Amino acid sequence: MEQTPKTIALVGNPNTGKSTVFNALTGLRQKIANYPGITVERKVGTSIIGGVLHQIIDLPGAYSLNYKKLDERIAYQALIGSYEHEEKPDLVLAVVDVTNLDRNLFLVSQLLDLEIPVILVLNMMDVAEQKQITINEQILSENLGIPVISISAKKREDIERLKQFVAKAELSPPSPLAWLDSFQLRQALGKVKKEWIQPHTNIPESAQHTEALRLISEGNFEYVFYTFEEQEKGLKVIEQAREILEQAGENPMATEVLQRYDFIDRCTKDATQQNTDTSLSITDRIDSVVTHKVFGPIIFTSILLLMFQAIFSWATPFMDFIDLIFIETGNWVANALPPGILNDLLVEGVIAGLGGVVIFLPQIVFLFFFIYILEGTGYMARAAFVMDGFMTKVGLHGRSVVPLMSGFACAIPGIMAARTIENWRDRIITIMVLPFMACSARLPVYALLIAAFIPATPVLGIFTYQGITFFGLYIFGIVMALLAAAVMKWFFPSGQQTPFIMELPAYKLPKWDVVFKNVADRGWIFVKEAGKIIVAISIVLWFLASFPGVDQQEYDQNAYEGETIESYQLRNSFAGKFGQIIEPTIEPLGFDWKIGIGLLTSFAAREVMVGTLNTIYSIEGSDEDIVTLKEKLINDTDPETGQPIYSIATALSLMVFFALAMQCMSTIAIVRRETNSWKWPTAMFVYMSALAYVCSLITFQVGSNL
Amino acid sequence: MYPLNLTKEGEEVVVKCINCHCEDVCRLNELGCIEGAKGVIISNQKNVIFKVGETRLAINSDIAKSILVSSN
Repeated sequence: MEQTPKTIALVGNPNTGKSTVFNALTGLRQKIANYPGITVERKVGTSIIGGVLHQIIDLPGAYSLNYKKLDERIAYQALIGSYEHEEKPDLVLAVVDVTNLDRNLFLVSQLLDLEIPVILVLNMMDVAEQKQITINEQILSENLGIPVISISAKKREDIERLKQFVAKAELSPPSPLAWLDSFQLRQALGKVKKEWIQPHTNIPESAQHTEALRLISEGNFEYVFYTFEEQEKGLKVIEQAREILEQAGENPMATEVLQRYDFIDRCTKDATQQNTDTSLSITDRIDSVVTHKVFGPIIFTSILLLMFQAIFSWATPFMDFIDLIFIETGNWVANALPPGILNDLLVEGVIAGLGGVVIFLPQIVFLFFFIYILEGTGYMARAAFVMDGFMTKVGLHGRSVVPLMSGFACAIPGIMAARTIENWRDRIITIMVLPFMACSARLPVYALLIAAFIPATPVLGIFTYQGITFFGLYIFGIVMALLAAAVMKWFFPSGQQTPFIMELPAYKLPKWDVVFKNVADRGWIFVKEAGKIIVAISIVLWFLASFPGVDQQEYDQNAYEGETIESYQLRNSFAGKFGQIIEPTIEPLGFDWKIGIGLLTSFAAREVMVGTLNTIYSIEGSDEDIVTLKEKLINDTDPETGQPIYSIATALSLMVFFALAMQCMSTIAIVRRETNSWKWPTAMFVYMSALAYVCSLITFQVGSNL
Repeated sequence: MYPLNLTKEGEEVVVKCINCHCEDVCRLNELGCIEGAKGVIISNQKNVIFKVGETRLAINSDIAKSILVSSN
């Protein structure tokens, strides 16, 4: 390879280890998992190969260049130089799963037509050895006409070998259409190119073969992304091209595919040897149980129940420890600094606000730990398969399951994962209901209120009412998402249904280093992102809740009986007065002005609610009080009536509000980006907030009258 | 020939004909399910898991009905 900087694209079928190769080459930590479609956008990094710094692009997985889904289209556009006006890559590393070579080579046969140098990277050689698959790289290279190298991307020495191989490779574009034997198909292809694509479209020359073949096999312009003119003429030319094939007894839909597979068969016939054992593998045996029509849904539900119970139970000792650290830190700072504004700001503002949220880090860590294990084993794809029938009935698609389950961690990757859904209607409904899935930002609020107001009484030996309530809130989110989808399907034209066709990956043990790295990353992101917002809001809130100060005389004259001076001061602060303005709006939901302030700040990010309450209650508490926020909520009373602020009905109403309201700026921003319109995020914000208000109102009014 | 949804678990079959919508035929073909391909039924519980080569294809019942196979 020439010693000049190049752009190298990693291309291949989904789940073949492209992101593992990308991470190994660039030193980045692009997310990897064991299900198709984990990479839905193009990622860029750099790598030094042969002493030169090259740009490496990790493209979304694609089964072919006949793009149907947004992620496949991104891959194709990047390869032909039509993605956001970028140049096409100088070299393609086609990463294939060597244990499924023929299927993977279908895409490679299409890459050979793009007039870009290609190196075939046979990945997963360690698995191939276990399955007694042997490949003669030399013969395969000669047959395909491109350089071939075998690696296992998990091995560092193999990545070094790959770098050396790329640096030394003689790169020239392979001859396009080497697979094409049929005279009629060649004639039809030439006709579409010459009579329509070249005179009427802006398709780059190197992509014209591919586009012509796609139009012949599909016969329409449904998924076309480029500009063109005279569609009617184009349709006529395509029809004539298809007639050429039909007159020769060839099926326009299938002839290209069959000829490509014939070519692949010729290329691999004398280059590969494999064990012909057709007995069922462990994956096949597990699948016969896990995807069973009765056991499958039971297993799916049980996994979710155990996961949420474990999150609640296992995290408790770690949360108590973090709580203790923040209390001790607060005490130490309070004693170390002289009394005054700085002391109050740090102890009651920053430390209280931050501690109120960081305490939930162990639960966040356990949640991501379970989600990454489900992703790493390959179970996610089975969940999609098991739930497809049910999802279709409520207006979604089986493929919606993976984005929706990703939503348990965070709505943003879930919304992006919806790119793997082919049908526009299914995709937009999935995006619109996905924020109902109980994301990790809701977890601190749920955990605080459940711990304060739901008894920890054991149920059935291994569960508790707290764990079951926690699980119930997640189920509530799922049910509301499904109901919303069922309603939305009446508002969208149904069009053609996209049937469920999905590849199920082999089960694997999770890569523990990847799981722990990803969990650590997510934990750090939670602390960093929540911390930034919370520290800022805590400082502002501390100021608003601490000023103006009150003197003893004013307190003696105006305070309610039994009201402490701290409570009186808070009630008459800037924050207190503003809270009392909005209180009539939220009073029917069972919320007082303090919760109202928390609701307002939580529109920046849901978890800010807990930090806000912690700051407000720290200011209200006397200096001698060293009690947790949970205890403060339980003991809080209305200064006017002396009645407790929080009842079980209030707690349930608040949890319902949090389950349903759209309180995440980042989600709104990502919906805007993914739908390329403000219409959808606006509609999402309005309908979710209205639904939250109504359901919360019903919950409180019914709950408090029982 | 009979549709894929009428096969039994463990049955080895050869794909003879695919009669669904053009785009679905393309998707199945890309995944290795082409006329003449040999495979085995892993699960048939309304939806079908059909193993073609090393590819486990999860296919819903409507598509399974449109894939005609014969015993291998």
